[in-house]
Amino acid sequence: MSKGKILVIDDEDIVLKSCHRALTPEGYDVKTAKSGVEGLKMLENEPFNVALIDVKMPDMDGMEVLKKIKERWPDVAVIIITGYSAIATAVSSIKLGAFDYIEKPFTPDGILSVIKKALGQ
Amino acid sequence: MEAKRFVYSLTGKLILTISALMVIGSIILGYLMYRNREAELIEHSVDSGISFTEQIKKSTRFGMLHYDVNLIQRTVEDIGSSKGVNKINIFDAKGKIAYSSRKEEIGTVLSLDSYVCSPCHAGVSKPKTTQSWSISMDKEGYRVLNIIQPIHNEPACYSAACHAHPKDQLVLGLMEADLSLAYLDKGIRQQGLVFIAYIVSFFLIISIVFYIILWKFVHTPMSILSKGMKRVASGDLESTVRIDTKDEMGELANAFNAMTADLSKAKKELVEWGNTLEKKVGEKTEEIKKAHAQFIHSAKLASLGRMAAGVAHEINSPLTGIVTFGHLLLKRFPEGSQEKEDIEVVIEQANRCSSIIKGLLSFARATMVDKGPVNVNDVLKSSLNMVSRKVDFFNITIDQMLDESLPSVKADASQLQQVFLNMILNAADAMDGKGTLTVSTRKVSEDGRTFAEVDFTDTGHGISQENMAKLFEPFFTTKPVGKGTGLGLAVSRGIVQEHGGKIFVKSKVGEGTSFFVRLPLYEG
Repeated sequence: MSKGKILVIDDEDIVLKSCHRALTPEGYDVKTAKSGVEGLKMLENEPFNVALIDVKMPDMDGMEVLKKIKERWPDVAVIIITGYSAIATAVSSIKLGAFDYIEKPFTPDGILSVIKKALGQ
Repeated sequence: MEAKRFVYSLTGKLILTISALMVIGSIILGYLMYRNREAELIEHSVDSGISFTEQIKKSTRFGMLHYDVNLIQRTVEDIGSSKGVNKINIFDAKGKIAYSSRKEEIGTVLSLDSYVCSPCHAGVSKPKTTQSWSISMDKEGYRVLNIIQPIHNEPACYSAACHAHPKDQLVLGLMEADLSLAYLDKGIRQQGLVFIAYIVSFFLIISIVFYIILWKFVHTPMSILSKGMKRVASGDLESTVRIDTKDEMGELANAFNAMTADLSKAKKELVEWGNTLEKKVGEKTEEIKKAHAQFIHSAKLASLGRMAAGVAHEINSPLTGIVTFGHLLLKRFPEGSQEKEDIEVVIEQANRCSSIIKGLLSFARATMVDKGPVNVNDVLKSSLNMVSRKVDFFNITIDQMLDESLPSVKADASQLQQVFLNMILNAADAMDGKGTLTVSTRKVSEDGRTFAEVDFTDTGHGISQENMAKLFEPFFTTKPVGKGTGLGLAVSRGIVQEHGGKIFVKSKVGEGTSFFVRLPLYEG
């Protein structure tokens, strides 16, 4: 039994890989998408508990994806990944309905604790 | 050339004009005097001539009455030979020369219209009986007075023994005397010469006197003034002219001196003004140059910021991979193993990369400003806490003199911390890791506004006057290559100014430096 279904959206393979590697052993079902469009498609096909979204992506940026998710799947907890500490970005993402934000580079423990918080574990 | 200049000079003109007037006046006066004198002399000569002829009449009377022809001729000759008498003729009633001082003329008969007869007989049947006179020229150019005197009949004549004349005959004959006026002409000529000599010497004396007066009172001061003006024209405004007379020339000189003094003053002011202007222009140019340099630096900074933001994002993703997989690896090795220690180094260095990126970003001020009420003391304390454990601060005493009643300021706490950390780290560098850093806070008023002031005073080596000016310029650093970016103070100032505050410095070489940060208080 999975602890939760997590969707990671980032244009960087290494970030997707890191999340996958950090969370899968902990019992989470981790799926990855390389763009906002791809991520939204996956959300349409299957339910997710948490979405980890990179704020800066080439086709559709994280905030846009956040808005779309919150419109259609308000129950999905969204965590924004920022490339650098930008308080303004964090504040506006929270205002748009994000659960929390996490800065790169993050540690496996760091992301785990945020995910746990989001899932109320 | 000299003569021409004299004619055109004021003195020359005056002298020539006065001389011309004097010459004309003298000629007119001389002529009038000459005419007057001549008339007088001639009148006198005529009177003398008439009395002379009367005298002849009287001298020949005895001969006439006795009809002694020889005696009469003799007398006429005698008198006629005296000096100044040219000739004496005695005519009979028929116009024939009966007696003459010139014997050869005796017997000559003159007609009625001859010069002797015409005065009385011209157009008149009955002749006048009065004497007449006329003046003519002789061969030598001297005047000759010709007097014609009628010889009137008288009782002694018609009652004489010879009975030559009837009683009713009015005029018995004529006596003509030519008297030379040469002595008179000579006198007049001589007098004229004397007069001319007088006039000439008078003219000379007057001219010399005039020349001296004009030279002394007009020409000399004029040339002094003219030289002075030339000096002024050539730019020497300090020159004065010295004319001590109390007349118009003296006044002119005084006015001239006052004018040059005013001019000189005005010129000095102008020069001074020009200098200040030059200085001001120089200052402004310097300011513009600085502003331009700052602009270039700012532009550099901005592009650096953009680049840093891009780099940060790109680098943070691989760093995430390094950190994540490092941590995952870490779990596989037992505590205290060499592998675990090695992996920890990898993670630590990855984290260091991340903090370098963050630092770069914050220096480029890519982080957004989020202003709110901030307790300056709290930010200071946390900043000091952060550094106090660093090796650099082991030998540094930190004195805190914080005003706990200090109101909040309107600021972005993280940016404020960045500024404070920068000040603290700079102080440590300035003291080479050994000394006392005094951090104090206080409330100050400036221009009616209240500020919170933070003062970082170190006991370091101070800042030279030369470096003081460049202190806040971007990329200016005195730290060794690789240690300082030269951005710390530039960014700090940028942040403080963005907060409506100011940052300034006081320093004494060898004694230490104080940095002051003033921030406006939070209002509502």
